[in-house]
Amino acid sequence: MLKYLMKRSGIYLIMIFLTTSAGYFLAVSSLKPAVLEQEKIPRPTPEQVAASFRGLGLDPDKNAWERYVEWLGGIVTKWDWGRSPNGAYVNAEFADRVLVSTRLFIASIILTLIIGVALGVYSAARQYKFQDRVITSYSYLVHILPAPIAYFLVQLGAISINETVGQRIFFVTGISTPGIDPGWPAFVDLVAHYAVPTFAMTIFGWAGYQIAQRQYLLDNVNADFVRTARAKGLTRNQAITRHALRVSFIPVAQSIAFTIPAIFTGGFFAEAIFAWPGIGLWSIQSIGLQDVNVATATLAYGSVIFAIGAILADFATTLVDPRVRVQ
Amino acid sequence: MSTNTTPAERLRDAGLYAPGDAVLSVRDLNVRFNSENGVVHAVRGVDFDLMPGKTLGIVGESGSGKSVTSMAIMGLLPETADITGSVRYKGKELLGLSDKAMCKHRGSDIAMVFQDPLSSLTPVYTVGHQIIEALTVHNPTMTKQAKEARAVDLLRMVGIPSPKDRLKAFPHEFSGGMRQRVMIAIAIANDPRVLIADEPTTALDVTIQAQVLEVLHTAQEETGAAVVMITHDLGVVAGMADDIMVMYAGKPVETGTVEDIYYNPRMPYTLGLLGAVPRVDSSDKQSLVPIEGTPPNLAQPVIGCSFAARCPMVSDACLHGEPELLAVPGVQGQTLGHKAACIKADELSGDADAHKIFQAPPKPVSKFDGVARLERAKVLELKDVKKHFPLLKGALIKKRIGTVKAVDGLSFDIREGECVSIVGESGCGKTTTLLEIMEFHPDQMGEVVIGGVSNKAATDRKTTMAMRKEMQMVFQDPTGALDPRFTVYEVLAEPLENLGMPKAAIRKRIMELMKLVGLQPDHVNRFPNQFSGGQRQRIGIARALAVNPKLVVLDEPVSALDVSVQAGVINLLDKLRAELGLSYLMVAHDLSVVRHISDRVAVMYLGKIVETGDVDDVFDNPRHPYTRALLSAIPVPDPNLERTRERIILQGDLPSPLDAPKGCNFATRCPVFAALPAGKQEKCLTLEPPLASEGAQDFACFYPDGELDADMLVVHA
Repeated sequence: MLKYLMKRSGIYLIMIFLTTSAGYFLAVSSLKPAVLEQEKIPRPTPEQVAASFRGLGLDPDKNAWERYVEWLGGIVTKWDWGRSPNGAYVNAEFADRVLVSTRLFIASIILTLIIGVALGVYSAARQYKFQDRVITSYSYLVHILPAPIAYFLVQLGAISINETVGQRIFFVTGISTPGIDPGWPAFVDLVAHYAVPTFAMTIFGWAGYQIAQRQYLLDNVNADFVRTARAKGLTRNQAITRHALRVSFIPVAQSIAFTIPAIFTGGFFAEAIFAWPGIGLWSIQSIGLQDVNVATATLAYGSVIFAIGAILADFATTLVDPRVRVQ
Repeated sequence: MSTNTTPAERLRDAGLYAPGDAVLSVRDLNVRFNSENGVVHAVRGVDFDLMPGKTLGIVGESGSGKSVTSMAIMGLLPETADITGSVRYKGKELLGLSDKAMCKHRGSDIAMVFQDPLSSLTPVYTVGHQIIEALTVHNPTMTKQAKEARAVDLLRMVGIPSPKDRLKAFPHEFSGGMRQRVMIAIAIANDPRVLIADEPTTALDVTIQAQVLEVLHTAQEETGAAVVMITHDLGVVAGMADDIMVMYAGKPVETGTVEDIYYNPRMPYTLGLLGAVPRVDSSDKQSLVPIEGTPPNLAQPVIGCSFAARCPMVSDACLHGEPELLAVPGVQGQTLGHKAACIKADELSGDADAHKIFQAPPKPVSKFDGVARLERAKVLELKDVKKHFPLLKGALIKKRIGTVKAVDGLSFDIREGECVSIVGESGCGKTTTLLEIMEFHPDQMGEVVIGGVSNKAATDRKTTMAMRKEMQMVFQDPTGALDPRFTVYEVLAEPLENLGMPKAAIRKRIMELMKLVGLQPDHVNRFPNQFSGGQRQRIGIARALAVNPKLVVLDEPVSALDVSVQAGVINLLDKLRAELGLSYLMVAHDLSVVRHISDRVAVMYLGKIVETGDVDDVFDNPRHPYTRALLSAIPVPDPNLERTRERIILQGDLPSPLDAPKGCNFATRCPVFAALPAGKQEKCLTLEPPLASEGAQDFACFYPDGELDADMLVVHA
């Protein structure tokens, strides 16, 4: 197993290297930070711009290959991912951004997963009954509702709660209140900031898991081996939970691992609306700011998260499906 | 029982008169399903009593309601099914019990073995886990060690080698036959009083079928359970069952002891079924009894006798009121239990001839029948054809770690007007042989000559086209082999268009073909799904014949069809061969069909022919131990013979072609080898026996007709 994971990791490392390199070439040939410098007042001369960029390692006069070699050299020798046109170090901001994103998403990822799978099982066991129709209709509705609108609706709800109570219970944006006392007040403040985005992303996030789990379970509910289990003397519900559920969880387990990176890197709507400046927002902003090094770094992060997701998917599959273990 | 009782009265009577010692009494069982086409009345009044330790065979074609009956008894039908009547286990009513209450009986009192062993075990749990689960449900207090010990015992009982290690194996690590043994182990785990086996061997090879039937037999002996054996194969139940119930259109149409049913059938359907089965033990070459038509649609109420539409003896009286299942009167030596649902039961005495009643066609005579074999031209010749698959390992860089010799040096020929069959277990290389013939490429190992054209010369499209015109193929699954979006006309026109035939000629040819295969020419604009399985296979045959080939390759042509329909298709194939002077190359696992239709037979084992010759020589006097075992594995629809004959039960499965033994391939399972003294065994292990001619046939064995190992011989007294 370990050997297999090592091998997979090796293959993914090569893939990450290739996607990141390709991304760098694309960024370096399409993003031109010098254009933005022209809007500064007083307007710098092209020579001044070039000189300042040269100091940041963003020399516009070098060709793409030379800059790639320089950039790659920095990473390999000093783990230095370069600098932004405004002079900031990518490395310095990167960790903060990742931390913000992780904190924003981690709770809702776990909650959507548990709730989605549980509701999928619940609705499959009651196929076409009232509860199933309500749950599944809700999931389809959420699927067609664009995320920004959904998040705004939750924010409006939180604000109206605040107004009804006449006191600010929930914060609809931001990570924390500056200058709060450490200890208990800090914790209350954290929860007040955390509740709204987590709630919003959870109730609008589980739909996919719910629908998938319901479908896969229904495919297996009438399987021959469930009939065998019932013939042994298990009740229908026991046979479904012990036999059909595990088999139906195999494809879900795989999809889970693959959706995690999508949330981490593509969560810029949530980050923007709830004002949590995480990695998703940063990657979009970097393109607007013609920032070659940040765009490439966020891309590399996305590839790494994806590879971790893929390895997790393999791992999850081997965990629930013994047929994969024998190799 | 009078004919005018209401169901309620019959139920009451059943309660009063059901034999007190019956373990299972079913009375007036009716099952209805709601479907898009209305209410389907799948089971219409089934009555039977199952005595302790006895075996009841329920026989019927697909859709006759036999499986639904068993599922209704087990309480495993979906909640939407409407079940009425009475099912009593030792006097206790089971119908109407809640799922939970029923669970006390399922698996402990009544257990079941299902048809498809490949899908009946949960893939993600070990075999041990699944056996132990059955023990845990009914014995919550049993200790873990005791359960494990019992599971090992069970696996040993059903004949799984090294049972202790195999407990930890997953179902996918077992072959189909092994999985069915595990299913049986699960079923008998709690010593059930009633064991229901629903087509337990249908999905298995004949040799494995023989093993599994043997295991069922042992299981019954060990547990003393009464068995309900559901099958469409009259041979399988002949040796096992005490009583038989023949079902048709959801209703029992004849019941009685095995002797009653097999030797004195009183219902035309039973008679037809028995005549429709070819016999592996007889060289009698008369046509099979075809039962024309299809069973009634049970979504509509049945008026009159359900079999009337297909019955050759039908008269007006048959269409008024459905006949009751009544005791067959007054034949001496008759058991009281023999009942038939036919108003003409009296007319069918013991010597009724199914061939006469069903107007079986006479055996067709071909123009080649009078010509000696060697004087006829060769239609197909194979010379040392080999197909080796490299076995590769590695993700990026493939390493060759072995060779699978799927076909290893095959030589045989087919002459004009004859049918050659290849038989053997799955995995022996039958299908690969057909594929190699169809491939027809110069790069193949060995030479394939079709109608005088060699594959070595097939370098251009023209030669290949010429060969395709000589040879056509009929496939196993008629439903899968026809494009559902093509009308029959389009299906049949396609090969003709490929030959560039003009439109008018195509139309004429298609009408000819439809008549030739016994279909109505005005049905050409229908789609395949509007035809029954047998008719679809006729369309498949018509398509193969469209271009007037000399040789037709038949890949399991009737294995997907019901017995009564199968007989019609076999008769058609026989007729076409005689009329058109065709040659057939057939692959089939049903040796009875092979015996009936073939002139010559080749027995394959692990990619090699082990015995070949005229079908009567090989079947009547098999020399190679494998042929002997294969033939002995076929159940014969004759209870007396089936009970007394000695059968060879081969051990284990077909070995993987990868670890094919060095000497004789068959040595690992050979019953003769096992009985040989060590000195003689040496020869089998080191030298490969050549296919040599001796007597009437060719075979590859050093010790033909050798004494068989006693462990592999079984006789049921």
